[in-house]
Amino acid sequence: MPEELDPVIHAPARLRVVASLAALGRGDEVAFPKLRKLLDMTAGNLSTHLRKLEDAGYVRVTKTHEGRMPATYLALTDTGRTAFADYQAALMDLLKGAQG
Amino acid sequence: MTDDTPAGEPVRASDDGPASGAGLSPAETLRLIRQQQEAARDATEPDGRLLFAAWGLAWLIGYLAMWLSARDTGLAESWAGWVLAGCILGAVVFTIVHSITRTAGTRGASARLGAMYGWSWFLAFTAFGVLLGAMGHAGASPEVMAIASNGFACMIVGLLYIACALLFEEVRMYALGAWMLVTAVAAAFAGMPNTYLVMAAAGGGGFLAMVAVEQWFRARRRSPGSVPRRTEGGGHGA
Repeated sequence: MPEELDPVIHAPARLRVVASLAALGRGDEVAFPKLRKLLDMTAGNLSTHLRKLEDAGYVRVTKTHEGRMPATYLALTDTGRTAFADYQAALMDLLKGAQG
Repeated sequence: MTDDTPAGEPVRASDDGPASGAGLSPAETLRLIRQQQEAARDATEPDGRLLFAAWGLAWLIGYLAMWLSARDTGLAESWAGWVLAGCILGAVVFTIVHSITRTAGTRGASARLGAMYGWSWFLAFTAFGVLLGAMGHAGASPEVMAIASNGFACMIVGLLYIACALLFEEVRMYALGAWMLVTAVAAAFAGMPNTYLVMAAAGGGGFLAMVAVEQWFRARRRSPGSVPRRTEGGGHGA
């Protein structure tokens, strides 16, 4: 039997966050407002999910300033990238299992 | 995790709380991932199809105008030169605006490489213009100028696409670059006024062919063969 799917990633809202960040190149970051618009989530909602992902070590949150404006950038950590790859592999296993 | 209670049809995954993937089959989840990644790339990367279409049309229209005006007298007339300049300028502006709009709000390694790559085009074509000016100043004939400007333009484009291929590991960009080098040679030996026809057909046509190539890659990425057909009721643990 395949292992249990990673519950941090498996919630659809966080899955979309992780999938989006994984689409960026390694070493690339995206600004919070851009990610929020892409995902069409409220700021509070996205923040909640990001905090969970950050707590799990999957997402790196960088707070900085652009001129006088505070800015927040998000990126997937190497741990997050690996976890996402494992998650997809587990899904594929489940699928093969389901197809018999 | 406390928020992973099973939900009915949580495909819309937009809210917090009891959002869970438990209602999605593995196939649906994989599809959700693919769609989301496609949307993320659309939001953060320039669309190659649009850029190649802009450059393909610019070369096709601009160099066809040069060819048409040069057919009778053997030399391109100034109106055609303005058409070509306008087309190239339009493609440059479109490329810059499109790329900046798409990549705004991202930073990191790709942004730095992309900026350096963009500046390489500017530097190369600035040098190109200055060299052509020097050649004209030294008494190069209009025919030599035509061959040099077409051949060198294709060579710069070809080499920069090859650089792009090396930088971003895109084999199809290498193929385009190599094609542009072939075009440079063909344009140099075509003679007046056919050198312009080569630029329009092989150069502009090469860009336009890339629109189709990009579209093909995009379609393949969207429905990769590795991703499994849909399963019925295949929730996890099935």
